[in-house]
Amino acid sequence: MSEITRDQLMAYADGQLPGDERAAVEAFLAANPDAAADVALLQRQSDAIRTLFEPVGAEAVPARLRPARLAAEMARRRSRNWGWAAAAIVLVGLGLGAGWFARPLLDARPASQVLIANAVNAHAVYVAENRHAVEVGSDDSEHLSSWLSNRLDTTLGMPDLAAEGFTLVGGRLLPGEPDAGGRAAQLMYENATSDRVTIYVTAALPDGAPAYEFASHDGAEAFYWANARITCTVVGTLPEEQMKAVAGSVYRQLTEGDVGAGRPYRG
Amino acid sequence: MNDFLDQLETCVPALRRYARALTRNADLADDLVQDCLERAISRRGLFRPTGPVRAWLFTILLNLHRNALRASRRRGETVDIDTVPELSTPAPQPGHIALAELARAIETLPPEQKEALLLVTLEGIPYAEAAGIIGIPLGTLMSRLGRARAALRALTGSPAEPHLRTVK
Repeated sequence: MSEITRDQLMAYADGQLPGDERAAVEAFLAANPDAAADVALLQRQSDAIRTLFEPVGAEAVPARLRPARLAAEMARRRSRNWGWAAAAIVLVGLGLGAGWFARPLLDARPASQVLIANAVNAHAVYVAENRHAVEVGSDDSEHLSSWLSNRLDTTLGMPDLAAEGFTLVGGRLLPGEPDAGGRAAQLMYENATSDRVTIYVTAALPDGAPAYEFASHDGAEAFYWANARITCTVVGTLPEEQMKAVAGSVYRQLTEGDVGAGRPYRG
Repeated sequence: MNDFLDQLETCVPALRRYARALTRNADLADDLVQDCLERAISRRGLFRPTGPVRAWLFTILLNLHRNALRASRRRGETVDIDTVPELSTPAPQPGHIALAELARAIETLPPEQKEALLLVTLEGIPYAEAAGIIGIPLGTLMSRLGRARAALRALTGSPAEPHLRTVK
């Protein structure tokens, strides 16, 4: 007689054994009452489980579980959702558009910060130069003044810092912020101990509002102001007191003509 | 489409029965079946209409049930007071299995044994199909069924019954 496995007995009890094997199992069970009792127990278990739960299958199915009704409800919900989705897309689009056009309003860096950063950067680049520190030297200060004044579209005098111990080295033209005319002029001064100070001048910002700022930037001191005609940033690495004296002198001389009927610029 | 819905409809009683046996809670079971049907309807495009819709539905139902089980284990389980079986008296006669005792014993089975046992005994689903629904090899299904039934026998206490031996 062939081997009969537990799985075969279970399959027999579950009625899942193919016909040919079934006969073999039946013969085996006839000769083995213990195994027959096991199989009977399995069948009683299954019967009992069916007795417990089978009645549920005969209950009337609640309306909410009718597939046709569910499908209709889902279709309705989906079309509603499309409505919401469309509305959401429109709102997102409006938000993006508004955000795009509001960019300038939301630009976190104020113009003065940009100008100061540019001035400090230009200072750091050119004070380190010896032969090419300036584009036009102080010996041609007439030309320097008229050239830079033309380029900046404003009268630019060369401040005299002799009282503070500084003499003009010269100046150069630099690219600048589009908001402030797109160009900047840099004037460089030097004292007896070769300390250098630069003055970074641009045309006025669009708002032309007066502003005043003293900032420390990458180890350099920057004194910035703006009025209706120009913006100006004085940059140097001098001790604070000396720096304030230089900046104050530059401020007085470059704003002289702006406040009433003072003298015109020197230069 | 309507043919598909009709196919679903013929499976609903079996799904409800299986869900009720799994959850022992009529409302939870019907929620499960509703979720299962909605999922089936929304994914009917993914279902090849030639195959047996029943196995597919049971697979969905089982997955939803397992997800719910995992979620409730995280939340801490709540038990409907009506579903807690009463303490039963011992089986009145050898060989008779007290139903309440059996119901309680099924509750104590590990979920993977319970789902296999109910698919085969309650729903009469062929072994191969049940293995496919659960997503396990046939041999694993057989051993789960064997362990589930041995556990039930131990729990429903039929000491007079001879134990199943390997009879190779």
